[in-house]
Amino acid sequence: MKDPASTSRPSVGSLLLKSQRRVVLGLEKQRAIRLFFAATSSVAVIVLVLIMLFLLREGMDFLPTYRHELEIYRRAGLEFCDILDRPLAGHQQLCSKLRRAASASLNTITHTARSRRDAAYEQMREVEEATSLQHLALSEALAQVPPAAPDELTRLRQEMHEAALAATAALPQPAVLTAAEAQQLKQELALLGPEVTDLPHLLAALSTDYIRVDMDAHAAFKPLVDAVEAFEAAPDKLHALIDEMKKHASETKARVTEIQNTVGGRPHAEPVDFARSITPLTDRIPELNAKAGEYALLAQQAAAALPAQAGTPQATEFLADMRAQLPAHLAAMREAAAGLAAWNFQKPVSYIDVIIAFFFGDAWITNSSWQDFFGFVPLLAGSVLIALIAVLIATPVSVVAAIYTNQFASEREQEFIKPVIEFIQAIPSVVLGFIGISLLGDAIKGVSEWSWLQWVPGFPIQERLNMFNAACLLALMAVPTMYSLAEDALNNVPRAFIDASDALGATKLQTVFCVIVPAARSGIAAAVLLGLGRVIGETMVVLLVAGNRIAIPDFSAGPGVIFQPAHTLTGIIAQELGEVSRGSAHWQALFMVGIVLFVISLLINWCARAFVRSFERFKS
Amino acid sequence: MRPLHFIPLLFMLGTTVPAAAQTTLRLRGSDTLGAKLLPQMAEAFKKQAGKVSFDIAAEGSSTAFTNLLTDSAEIGMSSRKVKPDEGAEFRLKGRDLREFEIAWDVIVIIVNKDNPVSDLKKKQVLQIFTGDIRDWSEVGGNPGMISIYTRNTSSGTYKDFMELAMKKREYGTNSQKMAGNEQIAAEVGANPHGIGYLGLAYAHAKGTKIVTIDGAIPSTADVKKYPYARPTFLYTNGEPTGRTREFIDFCYSPVGEAIVTKVGFVPKSRAK
Repeated sequence: MKDPASTSRPSVGSLLLKSQRRVVLGLEKQRAIRLFFAATSSVAVIVLVLIMLFLLREGMDFLPTYRHELEIYRRAGLEFCDILDRPLAGHQQLCSKLRRAASASLNTITHTARSRRDAAYEQMREVEEATSLQHLALSEALAQVPPAAPDELTRLRQEMHEAALAATAALPQPAVLTAAEAQQLKQELALLGPEVTDLPHLLAALSTDYIRVDMDAHAAFKPLVDAVEAFEAAPDKLHALIDEMKKHASETKARVTEIQNTVGGRPHAEPVDFARSITPLTDRIPELNAKAGEYALLAQQAAAALPAQAGTPQATEFLADMRAQLPAHLAAMREAAAGLAAWNFQKPVSYIDVIIAFFFGDAWITNSSWQDFFGFVPLLAGSVLIALIAVLIATPVSVVAAIYTNQFASEREQEFIKPVIEFIQAIPSVVLGFIGISLLGDAIKGVSEWSWLQWVPGFPIQERLNMFNAACLLALMAVPTMYSLAEDALNNVPRAFIDASDALGATKLQTVFCVIVPAARSGIAAAVLLGLGRVIGETMVVLLVAGNRIAIPDFSAGPGVIFQPAHTLTGIIAQELGEVSRGSAHWQALFMVGIVLFVISLLINWCARAFVRSFERFKS
Repeated sequence: MRPLHFIPLLFMLGTTVPAAAQTTLRLRGSDTLGAKLLPQMAEAFKKQAGKVSFDIAAEGSSTAFTNLLTDSAEIGMSSRKVKPDEGAEFRLKGRDLREFEIAWDVIVIIVNKDNPVSDLKKKQVLQIFTGDIRDWSEVGGNPGMISIYTRNTSSGTYKDFMELAMKKREYGTNSQKMAGNEQIAAEVGANPHGIGYLGLAYAHAKGTKIVTIDGAIPSTADVKKYPYARPTFLYTNGEPTGRTREFIDFCYSPVGEAIVTKVGFVPKSRAK
């Protein structure tokens, strides 16, 4: 077909020539585009490699830095002081039990007097709170120089009195006070003001009453109270000695750090002679041994002086507990004291020690005045436990939802459910964190106080911010990922399987649970793993909601452990990286935590991919 | 030989000219002051006075004096008074150390308002925060495990409290590290077994009550009798002049005092 305009078109030859002109740097257009795309996708790979290199570079220095710190810890004698100080902490645990036993026993006698006094004080506080504005205005006017006008003062006094009257009128009658007492208290509280310095009479009477009863109680339980006091005081001399030694060790350490910080700065700064600074400590070994022995003796005497029975069954139980645990504590003290002589400040700190201290250390103590420790276990335990709870909650929800939408739902239901679940992903995690703090925490706590739910382990819970709360929110965040992947896995089950099942006369339910779900199980497993990966890397929610307690969760609480607060790997980085000085051991330790997180995520992803691959092989 | 003369000249141009146009105040010392108060003060001062820059490094109060001695700081920040031996070193070198008390640092202990405990002894506070006392019944309250809410390690108050109340011992492992004053107040307000500490400016939060320490009430009117309060100081070498003088005067001005209050300290003029 020819038309007249065609003559104005460029010839084929010139077109080819033109395209020849587009060659840039020896590349023709097609190739250039291809290269551009290749380059863009390789940017992702390069960035990943760079991130890994950066993490490694910052984190790998951690081992030598931390080793150096632990070396100073040893050379300066801090470690030596801790040998006895650590097991001595057990003494306070036992003291705590005794104090509780004593308090419970005394309480049997003082209870009424105490609650009467506390109720009266509570009412006074309420009145004071309600009248605080008027109180402030009047006291400011009274303090004024030159003095405020008399009618102004009268007016303020009147206001104060009216406010106090209104506040007292609203007070309920405490159950522990008689009607007459409550009435008297109200009258006296109504007179409160900045010019009244005396305690209301009834309050003073209730207080003296309590003091009297308390003295009676102390007399009644004298053997117990005395034994508790003796036990508390038992390690005083040992403590004093250790404190003195600690001071010396701290000074040595401070000198070392000072010299390090002024490298080449001050000519008169000589390197610290560790051998000389350590002798004042090691010379004290006999003294330490003697004091430790004395402590053991005093503690045993005090324990022997404890009465067999305390005021309440629970208190008696505390005493029995304490008696049972004392031998182990004293044995630990003896063992530590025996280790004193074998301790050597020159013993090198190997890298294996450092790795063990990091990966198996049970204390993460930073910004300390004594010694920083970077033990990773409490954080890992928190992260893993929270992630597991979250996945345990999210898996049934998302898998069941996936099965329903994939197999049972009508098309209209599918069109509704899918986008809604996927929309959850769009909620910013900080918003979820706020929900956790302001709504979910109170809700969980409220539910845990219902009387018919008290059989649940861990109920009633004490902390609003705990692992379970965080895990619920994380589960919500993981559901969309897990749901989509699980649904894909169900979709990918070959048609032939379903047809075969139908042909054998299976019902819909039988087909779903005996054919489709088993066939998709590796895909579902991959979905769960990727959900886990999503959860373990999440930061904002755990930082806000998990309660940030750096301690290995107390598994002796049984399943109730999930209602304890915890700290996490991601949370610690977010919380502490902001203000540590660059290049310090703390900074590098946080990067090490980052590396470990990275490795965990990589492993989880790799496992998930392995599952998917096995699934694909199975399909073909 | 001529071209060689340029080199020192170029160096002089490079170093002296900007220094003449803008003074730099170097502040060294306490973490308590250097973390928040003085950076904020410096920002406000820059807005007002212009043409001045600050170089603040907070590595502990003792670095205030070492830096002043070597002339590597114009102002030293300290959360304690100068020690006698430090003062002696200054006198030995013929220096005249000047002291400016700029603010009081007050930390308030709060518990839930339903807690019958309303007074604690200093030793009890120490034992509670180090985890030695675990149960409220040990200090005369109703039985129940104590929940401890503290600031996190990057906060100046975290460390201050260790120094003021805990004899530099570590916090117990049962302590929970909260993001800020408000979060501590919220958790203590919601937990009948909670205890926490706050800057004085945040002390009156819903559902909480202030605990007196050995009977002493924390308030601006009675700061000096309260155990967890301490004065903080700025130090200079000799009577301050020029920008240093202006900056210190600024700290005492109403704007400066407003910043002091905002950061949670008590201005010197109100501390009695």
